[in-house]
Amino acid sequence: MAKNENNGWNDFDIGALLFSFDKETKNIATTLQEDRPYSNSNSFTASVADWRVMKPVFNKEFCIDCQFCWIYCPDMSIISRDKKMIGIDMDHCKGCGICVEVCPTNPKSLLMYDEHLEDEEALIAAWPAKEEK
Amino acid sequence: MSEIKKIKNLKEFSTSADRFEGANLLCPGCAHSIIVREILNATNDDLILGSSTGCLEVCTAVYPYTSWDNSWIHIGFENSSTAIAGAEAMHKAKKRKGTLISDRDPKFVAFGGDGSTYDIGFQWISGCFERGHDMMYVCLDNEVYANTGGQRSSATPIGSSTVTTPAGSHSYGEKKDKKDMLSIMAAHNAPYVAQVAPNKWKDMIKKIQTGFATEGPVYINAMSACTTEWKFDPADTIAVSDLATDSLVFPLYEIINGTELNITYRPKNIVPVKDYLGAQGRFKHLFKPENAHVLDEWQKRTDAKWDLLQRREEARV
Amino acid sequence: MADKIDLLDIEVWDGNMAASQAMRQAQIDVVAAYPITPSTPVVQNYSTFLANNQIDGEFVMVESEHAAMSGCVGASAAGGRVATATSSQGFALMCEVLYQASGMRLPIVMHVVNRALAAPLNVNGDHSDMYLGRDSGWIQADAFNAQEAYDLGLMAFKISEDHKVRLPMMIHQDGFMTSHTAQGVKTLSDDVAYNFIGEFKPMNAMLDLDRPATHGVQTEEDYHYEFKARQHHDLMTFAKAKTQEVFDEFETLTGRKYSMIQEYDMEGADIAIVCMGTSVETARLVATDMRTKGIKAGVIGIRIIRPWPFEEIKEALKDVKAVAALDRSSPNGALGMLYNELAGCLLQNAKPSILSNYVYGLGGRDLTKDNIKQVFTELKANADTGKLTTPTQQWISLNGEALNFF
Ligand SMILES: Cc1ncc(C[n+]2csc(CCOP(=O)(O)OP(=O)(O)O)c2C)c(N)n1
Ligand code: SF4
Ligand code: SF4
Ligand code: SF4
Ligand SMILES: [Mg+2]
Repeated sequence: MAKNENNGWNDFDIGALLFSFDKETKNIATTLQEDRPYSNSNSFTASVADWRVMKPVFNKEFCIDCQFCWIYCPDMSIISRDKKMIGIDMDHCKGCGICVEVCPTNPKSLLMYDEHLEDEEALIAAWPAKEEK
Repeated sequence: MSEIKKIKNLKEFSTSADRFEGANLLCPGCAHSIIVREILNATNDDLILGSSTGCLEVCTAVYPYTSWDNSWIHIGFENSSTAIAGAEAMHKAKKRKGTLISDRDPKFVAFGGDGSTYDIGFQWISGCFERGHDMMYVCLDNEVYANTGGQRSSATPIGSSTVTTPAGSHSYGEKKDKKDMLSIMAAHNAPYVAQVAPNKWKDMIKKIQTGFATEGPVYINAMSACTTEWKFDPADTIAVSDLATDSLVFPLYEIINGTELNITYRPKNIVPVKDYLGAQGRFKHLFKPENAHVLDEWQKRTDAKWDLLQRREEARV
Repeated sequence: MADKIDLLDIEVWDGNMAASQAMRQAQIDVVAAYPITPSTPVVQNYSTFLANNQIDGEFVMVESEHAAMSGCVGASAAGGRVATATSSQGFALMCEVLYQASGMRLPIVMHVVNRALAAPLNVNGDHSDMYLGRDSGWIQADAFNAQEAYDLGLMAFKISEDHKVRLPMMIHQDGFMTSHTAQGVKTLSDDVAYNFIGEFKPMNAMLDLDRPATHGVQTEEDYHYEFKARQHHDLMTFAKAKTQEVFDEFETLTGRKYSMIQEYDMEGADIAIVCMGTSVETARLVATDMRTKGIKAGVIGIRIIRPWPFEEIKEALKDVKAVAALDRSSPNGALGMLYNELAGCLLQNAKPSILSNYVYGLGGRDLTKDNIKQVFTELKANADTGKLTTPTQQWISLNGEALNFF
């Protein structure tokens, strides 16, 4: 598969065809992403991290694993394994903030922060307290 | 027929392995993607997918990347339905002849935007449904030609300001109400027709699974809140969708065999239509005093449609 | 299993039946088609085969020609043998998808029974639809009679489906003159015909569920140009070579010889007519007459329109003094397509022939032997005087004042 813009016309598959995987795959619907033979033309291998202005930060402490963030994330970026929310795929998260909006805990288990704040531990340490309603 | 995937609750659902991939080019907060995820995750069967030209297509297959983990095809703006019907016919022929490559039976699903569905691809869809292909057609209904910058479609609702029906000193935007695509598809005697919204995921998954279990053509009209053209904050996609379903602007129902209509969601608290309209920039001008009559009209029409749906449900027609 | 048909060695078929029988013998997996005069009988014949269990595949009776080609593209991408037939307005309606089919490199075979394009509406034969398709990226072959529609109809699958070629292929025949005129057609038995074509060998099939593939991507300025170059390259090299190879194999099997251009009476010819369709046969008759009178007249029929047989034509015309290009499509503000294409070939010859252009036969207007005789007579004058003695473009059999713009 060719990715380089400078590749010649004879370097491409005919019909501009793209294969999702490098190897044959059976039961892709039940194969987790970490076990898939993604080809480098699968957008899974690309990143849109530079789209983000704000980023979601996950604080496990309050999470009830309701999976609202998982189902509503438009970008397959909430990583859930064994029915638990375990983190965010920062290559594919576009920073829309939906996960934060739908998170039902108080305080929220996900919050948006400026993309450039690097020290997540500090952000989690300074997590807001439960909000009185 | 293959087994229906067990999805008791969201926790169980979250064990699904997505077959639609990230780093696609859809806008942050785009509901198209949420809809596609829910549909693909509703089954473990192999899928043969198609998309018409539109946001979903141009954002998921721009060389050299694809975001699809199942075979997928795009031809043009009007013909994802027929492309998938052709693939379905090929599967049928090869199965009969014993020349299939794979021993599993895939499901066939075509996606199209409302422009592709209500407007330019209407005839193709009608043809596929009349012929009875075993396929699902999903309209990603964001009520506008989003991919080309927000022109009206025949799914654009009254009062919406689009770039071809802009609100101005002498116009409140789109003048006509959207076409009733579900009734039209039901009138094809389609075995299953349903309106879904991704915020009501449980209702949606149930309908998609019913659709997959149905033999013959299935039409799904999926409300797709478009942050860019409806003009709301990307974080609010689900909140706006909730307003749409709870104000009954997008009532959730199904029609079986062209006649049996079931309302599948009755909001506990019906919210006023103006709350839904007020959450979106495309209706902002309706809140000017001179356009108050359009707001009234909106509520009236929404009530009337809901009333009609309830009466149809009761009468089974 | 489909029932076979015991064909006579020579069947009396019109061009449509010849095309339909070739389709039946190819054991196509999916045909998606829509009726239009004069190709309607292809669709009807196929329906009859289906009704009589003579076909195993699916026949999708779509609601338009655009849908016919859309269905063909979907079916072909799914991975199997696919074909259809159309004419004129139907061809025009599927135009968008023709480009998509070739760009996606899908081996679809299509019989195009040529007919005029409206307006004014006209059901008769001319080459307007054929010309409309000439930049679409398809291989275009032209049958001059029913026999050739049958033969090319079999060969097309073998050419188009080759894994290096993977380009769709049209077989043209003249509306009514060929499509509705019965003639004796030498047949192959069902088994011999199918064995010649061979089984469909899938490539990049969507139905290969273990190797998911994305068909019909978007490419912008960074890649589009290279993809188009690749398509052009493959058409010019692989498609051309494969076509010749299949022609040769077919000759070995049947004794019937096909080539990129068909030359008749071209040995030592001073003057030549280049044309397509049934006119080739008319022109041949006249050329033979001319030869008996000592006039060295010949005819070239263009068998493969795309990829354009540039070198073959150059070579065939290198010693010819005067050449007429006969175009059966309204040039609408230009010289005819054949004229222009031939001019390109001739320009590179040491002694370029004197080239003139004749428009004829629009909307089914007859081209008579007398018309052809007149063309040869004018060509002879050009050859004898060494210069063009007529206007560059003339309209044959046009009522009213002559049109001479070039
Ligand atoms: C034949 C044809 N006409 C027009 C277009 C331009 N076009 C591409 S996508 C599009 C609008 C898509 O709208 P919709 O179907 O609602 O999908 P959305 O982008 O909103 O998801 C238009 C007008 C085209 N590609 N092809
Ligand atoms: S911010 Fe948006 S894209 Fe990122 S994880 Fe949350 S919902 Fe997903
Ligand atoms: S929505 Fe909040 S509580 Fe629920 S799983 Fe996600 S982070 Fe945890
Ligand atoms: S314009 Fe709307 S539909 Fe299109 S990608 Fe953006 S949010 Fe999605
Ligand atoms: Mg739209």
